[in-house]
Amino acid sequence: MGLVASIRRLGRIAEPAPPTTWAGAAPPDQASKHPEAGGGAEALPAALRGSLQLRHVDAGSCNGCEIEIGACFSPVYDAERYGARLVASPRHADGLLVTGVVTRNMTDALRDTVAATPEPRVVIAVGDCARDCGEFAGAYGVVGAVRDVVPVDAEVPGCPPPPDAIIQVLRQVTGR
Amino acid sequence: MSAAHLPALLGGLTLAACLGAAAVPRRALPGVAGAGTALVGAAGVACGVAALDRGIEPIELAGALPLAGLRLAADATSGLFLVLIGAVAVAAGIYTAGYAGRGHGSARTPLVLLPVFVAAMLAVPLAASVTTFLFFWELMALASLALVLAEQRRPAVREAGLAYAVMTHLGFVAVLVGLVVFAAAAGAEEFGGLGEAAAGLSPATRTAVFLCTVIGFGSKAGLVPLHAWLPRAHPEAPSQVSALMSAGMVNLGIYGVVRVDLDLLGPGPRWWGLALLAAGAATAVYGVLQAAVATDLKRLLAYSTSENMGLVCVALGVAALLRATAGNDEPTAAGAAAVVALTAAFVHLFGHAAFKCLGFLAAGSVLAATGRRDLDALGGLARRMPTTTTAFGIAALGACGLPLGCGFIGEWLLVQSLVHALPAGGTLVALVLPLTVGVVALTAGLGVAAMVKAFGVGFLARPRSEEAERAVEGGPAMAAGMGLAALACGVLAVAPAVLSPALGRVLPELPAVTGQGAGAVPAPDLDTVLRLPGTSGAMSPGLLAVGVAVGIVVALAATHWRARRRPAPLRDAPLWACGGAAPTARMQYTATSFAEPLQRVFDGILRPEVEFAVTPYPQSSYLVERASYRSRLRDVVESVFYRPVLRAISAAAAVVRRAHQGSIHAYLAYGALGLVVALLVAM
Ligand code: SF4
Repeated sequence: MGLVASIRRLGRIAEPAPPTTWAGAAPPDQASKHPEAGGGAEALPAALRGSLQLRHVDAGSCNGCEIEIGACFSPVYDAERYGARLVASPRHADGLLVTGVVTRNMTDALRDTVAATPEPRVVIAVGDCARDCGEFAGAYGVVGAVRDVVPVDAEVPGCPPPPDAIIQVLRQVTGR
Repeated sequence: MSAAHLPALLGGLTLAACLGAAAVPRRALPGVAGAGTALVGAAGVACGVAALDRGIEPIELAGALPLAGLRLAADATSGLFLVLIGAVAVAAGIYTAGYAGRGHGSARTPLVLLPVFVAAMLAVPLAASVTTFLFFWELMALASLALVLAEQRRPAVREAGLAYAVMTHLGFVAVLVGLVVFAAAAGAEEFGGLGEAAAGLSPATRTAVFLCTVIGFGSKAGLVPLHAWLPRAHPEAPSQVSALMSAGMVNLGIYGVVRVDLDLLGPGPRWWGLALLAAGAATAVYGVLQAAVATDLKRLLAYSTSENMGLVCVALGVAALLRATAGNDEPTAAGAAAVVALTAAFVHLFGHAAFKCLGFLAAGSVLAATGRRDLDALGGLARRMPTTTTAFGIAALGACGLPLGCGFIGEWLLVQSLVHALPAGGTLVALVLPLTVGVVALTAGLGVAAMVKAFGVGFLARPRSEEAERAVEGGPAMAAGMGLAALACGVLAVAPAVLSPALGRVLPELPAVTGQGAGAVPAPDLDTVLRLPGTSGAMSPGLLAVGVAVGIVVALAATHWRARRRPAPLRDAPLWACGGAAPTARMQYTATSFAEPLQRVFDGILRPEVEFAVTPYPQSSYLVERASYRSRLRDVVESVFYRPVLRAISAAAAVVRRAHQGSIHAYLAYGALGLVVALLVAM
C-alpha cells in the first residue's frame, strides 16, 4: 500500500514534452516524401517512424555523453514516450547512438556493429567528439570522427549534449 | 518348416556364421561376420514371431549338457524378447560389415564371437529350465566380455573389462543362488514346474528368491547401485557391440525380472512392487542426471540406457504394486492401470531398443570418422555426415520422450497408468504414485537436456577439432544398419499399433499382473487411437504425426508464398560476435559449459571435483597471467559405494595372505586341520 501511496504523492515527474522545432532539419513527413534526397536529417528513413530501437556504442567516449544518454531514458526526460528505446544488441536495433571519438581499438567493432544492424537503420553521432573529435582531436589513439568510419545520418552537438538536445534528434526520427 | 525347427535353425546358423568367420580370408571377414550376425538375428526374429503366434513346444536336448541337459521352449513373452533382440542384431549385423570393414574392432576373435553373443542372448528367453537359463546367461556374459575386450590394447578397455567381469559375475552369483534356492524349494527344474510350485513356497523362501534374482537381473539391467559396469563397459566396446549390449542385453535383465519374479513367483506382496519402483526411480533419475553432465558421447548413451531401464523397472513396479492393490474379485481401476503400466514397460522396451541401437550405431559412425567420442572435440558434423546426423537426431528425439519420438508412447502410457490409478489405490498408492509422476517428469526433462546437448554440441555448429573437420560418412553398410534402426524408430513412434497383436498375446500370459478371473483386464488397444481399458486416456501418435507434418507443410508453403510476393532484399552480414573478432569454434557452447548450470543445481548429488586457480603476474595481483579450470565428474555411487567395499575386500585379503607364507609344512597342517574340522562337523 505504501508503494501506491508514494506513487500517488509523487505524481508524474516527467517534464512536459517540449514543442518540436525540427531545428535545421525537415520534419519527417517531408523526409518520407523525398527518400532519395541524401545527407542531413532529410534522409531519415520513414520506416522508423513511431518506434525506434536503439543500440548504444561507446567508440571512445569520456562517459559524459553516456550519462546524458542515461538521463534521456530516466523518468524525468522519458524518451520512451516518443517511441525510442534502448536494446541490448544491434540485431534487435533500428539505430545506433555512437558516442566519443572513434579509437583505434573500437574501429572494427563499430564497423561490425553497423553491419550487424538491419536496414533501414539510422546512425546518430552524439556529442562533439563523435562529430569532429572534439576535445581529443589529434590524440595518438584516435582514428577520427564517427563519420570518418561509418556513414552518419544525424548528429547531436554539445559536450556533453544536454538530454533535450538528444531527445530532439530522436523525435525527428520517430516523428512523435 | 514347423516352429520346433526354428531353434535348430538358429543354432545351425550360429555355427555356420562362426565357422565361416573363422575360415574366410581377412578381406571378407567383416562382411561374413556381419552377414552371419544379421542372419542369426533374423532367425531369432523368426523364432520370436513363431513363439508369439503359437508358442514353441519344449525341445529336450538331453545330451547337450551333462546331468541336466538343455530344455528350450518359448511362449509369447519369450517371443516378444526374441523379436526385440533379433531385430537389434539384424541392424547391428548389417552395420558391422561396414564398421569392421573400416578397421574398427576388426580383429578376428571378436568378429567370430559376435554371432555367438547374439545367439546366446537369443537363447536366454528360449531357455525353459533353470540349468539351461543359467548356462546361456553365463555364455552371454562371457561372449560379451570377450567383445568388450576387443580393443584390449587400450588400458581403459582393460579396466572396463575387469569391472564388467567382476560385476557380471557377482550378478550371476545372485541369479544362481536365487534360482537354485527356488528350484530346490519347488522340487522342480523346468520353468513350468517352478511356476506350479511357487504358490506353495514359504514367504521367506519367496522373499529370498525375489531379492536374489532382482539383484542379479538388476545388475544386468543397470539398476542403481549395480549399474557401475554399464557406463564403463558399453562405451569401451566396439560400437556394434555397444548397440547389442545397450539395446539387447540389458533387456534380458528385465526379461529375468518379468519371467522369474512376476511370472513364475507369481503375485507377490505389495513391497515387491514398491521395491522395484524405488530401484527403478532411483536409477532413472541418477542415470539421466549422469547422462546430462556426461561429455563422452557413448558414456552419455550408456547412462541413458540405465535411465530407460529404470523407467521400465518403474513401470513393472507400478504394475506389481497396483495388481497387489487391486484384487481379483472384480475389474478395478487399479487393475486396469496395472495392465497399462505393464504395457508401458513392454512398449518402452521396444522404443528404447530402437533408439538406443540407432544412437550407438550413429555414435560408432562418428567414432569411425573422427576417432573421438568426446563431445567437446566434435561439432560441425551435420554438414560433413548428414546421414549419421539425421540418424542420431532421430535417436535423440526418441530418447527425449517427446511426441513423434519412439520413447514417447511408453512414457505416456506410464504416466497414464500413474494418473488413472490414483482414486482406487488407498493411502500408500495415493502417496507413492504422485511422487512417481514427479520422478518420470524430472527424468523426461533432464533427458531432453542430455539429448539436446548430445545433438547440439556433437553435431551442429562448427567443428571443434581437426578430426571433426575432416570427418566423412562411413559407407553404405553402416548407413543401411542405421537406416533399419531409424525405420524401426519411425514405425514405433507413429504406429505403435504394430505391437498390439504381440501384446495381446503376451499380457494374458502374465496373470500375476493382468489379473485372473473376474479381475482380468484386457490388453490396451494400441490402434490408430490408443485407448486405455477402464480409463479415459486416449491419444493418437499417428494423427499427431500427420498433424505435425501438415503444419510443417503449411508453414513452409506460407513462407514460400510470402517470399514470392515480397522479395526480401538480401544482404550478407557477418556473424555478430558482440563487436569482437570473427567467431571461432572456441566461442561455442561445449558439452561441459552446457551442462554446467545443471551440474551446479545438482551439486550435492554429482559432487564434481572442481579446481579453479588464477596465477597473477608478480607485478600486480590484478593482472592475470594464467587461469586454469578443471572439473572432473566421477560416478558418485562408484566412489561412495564401491570403494569402501573394495577396500574392505583388499584388507580381508591381506589378512588371509598372512596365512600364506609359501611353506609346504604350513599348507599340509592346514589340510590336516581342515580334514579334522570336516570330520568333527560330520559327526
Ligand atoms: S563530447 Fe564531451 S562528454 Fe561526450 S565524450 Fe566527448 S568529451 Fe566526453
